[in-house]
Amino acid sequence: MTANYQHLALALVQPGMTLSDELLDVQGHVLLPQGTVLTEAMITLMPRHGIAALPIVIEAVASQEELAAGIEYHEQRLARLFRRQDPDDDADWATALLRSFVTDYRLGMPQEPVE
Amino acid sequence: MNAPPSPQATELTIDDVLTNLVDLPSLPAVVMELLNSIDQEDVDISVLAKKVSYDQALTAKTLRLANSSLYGLQVKVTTIQQAITYLGFQTTRNLITAAAVTGCFAEGQCAGFDHKAFWRHSIATAACAKVLARQMRFNQDYAFTAGLLHDIGRLVLVSCFPQQYERVIGYRAAHDCFPLEAERAVLGIDHVAAGVALAEHWNFSDTMKLAIAHHHDPDTPGAGFLSAIIHIADAVVHALDLAQMADGLVPPVSSVAWQALGLDEEIYLQLFRETELQYDEIAMVLLS
Repeated sequence: MTANYQHLALALVQPGMTLSDELLDVQGHVLLPQGTVLTEAMITLMPRHGIAALPIVIEAVASQEELAAGIEYHEQRLARLFRRQDPDDDADWATALLRSFVTDYRLGMPQEPVE
Repeated sequence: MNAPPSPQATELTIDDVLTNLVDLPSLPAVVMELLNSIDQEDVDISVLAKKVSYDQALTAKTLRLANSSLYGLQVKVTTIQQAITYLGFQTTRNLITAAAVTGCFAEGQCAGFDHKAFWRHSIATAACAKVLARQMRFNQDYAFTAGLLHDIGRLVLVSCFPQQYERVIGYRAAHDCFPLEAERAVLGIDHVAAGVALAEHWNFSDTMKLAIAHHHDPDTPGAGFLSAIIHIADAVVHALDLAQMADGLVPPVSSVAWQALGLDEEIYLQLFRETELQYDEIAMVLLS
């Protein structure tokens, strides 16, 4: 599994980007396998399949600023969505677990400790 | 039918809801039949297909869904029977139900109620519940439909008591509480009770009724496994922020339901991704 993944609108997808996940249709048939490096021809064909966004591997070097902005957005958003969850309430461990899983999903597995 | 709205609290009873249910737009008869047949193995598909095709608007929307490129059909289906042949009965039934229900309630009567956001959340929950059900080897068809309809009682309240529901929205914003709490405080009843009333009125199966009744309290004895699936799917979709509501709030997750599913982190990460992907595809067709 690729931890760093981004759902990118088709208009922003460029040839050379890598699919972070296999691309499935609703019946579960594979359109393109995971790790496919997209070509211009593939991207052109996406609208015909009704696909408006693709799961793209986030390149490690790709604009650190954008990445940081994305992380900051998700951190703030998660804090807001989970504002009723009390971290000190041990009885509420299931909500805490969901929060930690979604946080891993949004921010990637633990990288640098962030405030 | 309901009492003149007082400026303070309106105490509605389930009888007020029941009285107003008859004024709601009804689902096409054949959709009711499809919903009712969800438990049955021996449905006569050709008869149902024929009945659906008498409803031209419903047929058109269903075929648009079926022909949307997300199913990747090589041929263009032009009849319901053809759709069943290529997509299977279960999928076609899901499409018919989704097409019928999402167009059933009038919009814009209740200021501040975001119908689009409501359906975004419902569609996302349906998608998530279906993936969860596959993981749990549970009937995916039940899960999809229950996910789509779990909050349907809210639309009942909004449609039957639009002015009162505007106050619910105001109360929720003022107290930053869960919609469920705001409904109870302002109306005296909540969308769960209204949903159960509608489920009775529409003759939903017992499984579906239980899931609607207990998606907020799946710990209740006898709530059923589907309640647990819908409960978790609801929380996951809130946490993934798929409905994109500014004041979105993740409900408390039942540890009993969480344990009943017993999935580890890797499965949840897969579930998140698959839910997002499926949601994008379904929402594009249903909400366009």
